[in-house]
Amino acid sequence: MRSVLILVVCLIALAVLGPLLAPYDPTAIDIPNRLSAPNATFPLGTDALGRDILSRLLYGARWSLGLAFLISLLSLTIGTAVGLLATLGGKIADWSLMRATDTFLAFPELVAAVVIAGLMGAGTWSLIFALSVTGWMRYARVVRGIGLSLQSRGYVVQARLAGLPGWSIARWHYLPSLIPSLTVVWTGMFSRAILGISALGFLGFGVQPPNPEWGAMLLDARVHMRSTPLQMTWPGVAVVICVLAINLAGDALRDALAKEGSHE
Amino acid sequence: MIKAIGGLLLRAVVVLSGTAILTFALLWHAPGDPAQAIAMARFDALLTEDVIDQVREEVGLNANFWQAFWAWLGPLLRFDFGYSAVTGRPVWPDLWAAMTYTVPLALAGLAIGLAVSLPLAVLATKRPGGLLDRAAVGVASLGAAIPAYWLGLLLILLFAVQLRWLPAMGARTTAHAILPAVTLGLGVAASLTRIIRSGILEARGQPFLPAIQRRGVTERALARDHIAPHAAIPVVTLFGLELAFLLEGAVLVEVIFGRPGLGTFLVQAIVARDFPHVQAVVVVTALAFVVVNLLIDIIYRVIDPRIGAENA
Repeated sequence: MRSVLILVVCLIALAVLGPLLAPYDPTAIDIPNRLSAPNATFPLGTDALGRDILSRLLYGARWSLGLAFLISLLSLTIGTAVGLLATLGGKIADWSLMRATDTFLAFPELVAAVVIAGLMGAGTWSLIFALSVTGWMRYARVVRGIGLSLQSRGYVVQARLAGLPGWSIARWHYLPSLIPSLTVVWTGMFSRAILGISALGFLGFGVQPPNPEWGAMLLDARVHMRSTPLQMTWPGVAVVICVLAINLAGDALRDALAKEGSHE
Repeated sequence: MIKAIGGLLLRAVVVLSGTAILTFALLWHAPGDPAQAIAMARFDALLTEDVIDQVREEVGLNANFWQAFWAWLGPLLRFDFGYSAVTGRPVWPDLWAAMTYTVPLALAGLAIGLAVSLPLAVLATKRPGGLLDRAAVGVASLGAAIPAYWLGLLLILLFAVQLRWLPAMGARTTAHAILPAVTLGLGVAASLTRIIRSGILEARGQPFLPAIQRRGVTERALARDHIAPHAAIPVVTLFGLELAFLLEGAVLVEVIFGRPGLGTFLVQAIVARDFPHVQAVVVVTALAFVVVNLLIDIIYRVIDPRIGAENA
């Protein structure tokens, strides 16, 4: 648990401090030094335009982790709102919101995101919209599930009988019980967002050049796979480390919560 | 049971209608002229302004989203996907050709995924928490973190560029399908291993098992009659998710390996803003998903009769 947490903190620190640590400007073109192998000047080598790969990786952490954070937070908000409305809004609201959730789930998320981002026109805002709007369904289901189990609890019934409005019940009685489970789902969606951002970047529908996003870097590196195979390794390793660390943190969190639950 | 299936069917219809509305809303709001997109979908690519204006008039695009929606939906309900906006060829034969590449690839990926994950999960659960179990969980976690497109590129690098054992690009021979199928299969295996493992562990924890064992039922019969069916439930439930994963993976894998298929079809259509192609892929995929999920829900009720009509 502790080692995973340290790893996650290190990754966040790298993303935040990346620009301070990066030796070069990530978009500075240096044609004479293009496609160079790792050496003393360029620790991880350079890409086809002579840009320093280490600097691009460090700046790229901001794009990948920062956007993933934003996207997972946006879909968390949508999902929680839908889930709460479904539990508190009565039978008709519940049925229609859950069918809306089914509709969004009826399509592979990433394919939907590709279609939405592609049709909206490639770019960062389309990327954020496409991945948030296709990522909220699991939250909605979790929130609704827990909400339904809370509905018959004494304190919720009391609050309802006392005439408290729905939003107040949601805020004071539902949200505190939802936070642990939502955090676990959130870690899963965070790593999904990282994978989604890089997948869309790799397909050319995500963050646009010259911005150093890991998926877009892979797309660049792919062309020069034969001459400089190492160039292709770095962005992939970065994605794997981040996703793995966040997934492990999520697992640890889930186990810790399960243990706490069993002590009650 | 009949009532439950009726409810599920109703749900499937609602979901499909929702998908149609969302798809049309997306096309309606996408940058570009929806009248032109619809005209291209219904006639061929050689359109004059007159024809587009006529469609605009006929469909009532200037007036109302819903009128336009019904005009758009009509041909789709007859499985008439119109003509490509780019090539002017009918959409359906090209879409069908793409599917004949993607469906076998996805099935091969699923087969490889099952062939890897099932033995791994069974071995891992022989001694839960043991070295083998921890190794299997570790490998599965690592596998779940590796993006399909990167794994594909690494496999090309190793087996096509360095070792020269297998071809990488295109789909001319069966050998061309090996690397894509393995890429897809390993991704599936990573998630299936965890699902099957926890399914088996949970099935082992059923409270009535010691009683059956004491009656003298053999270890083998116990595994076959009591553990395997129970462990299969989460695998069937999550099969819809696996299918989504397969399709997402197929899109990326096809692009990496330069294979024809639904993924390349879709990506090319989006790049070329070929709306009829995009909508055909979306509609066919959504239909396939709703049908598969419907079947899963029905199978689920057959293998686990405790689930009634209510707990959908």
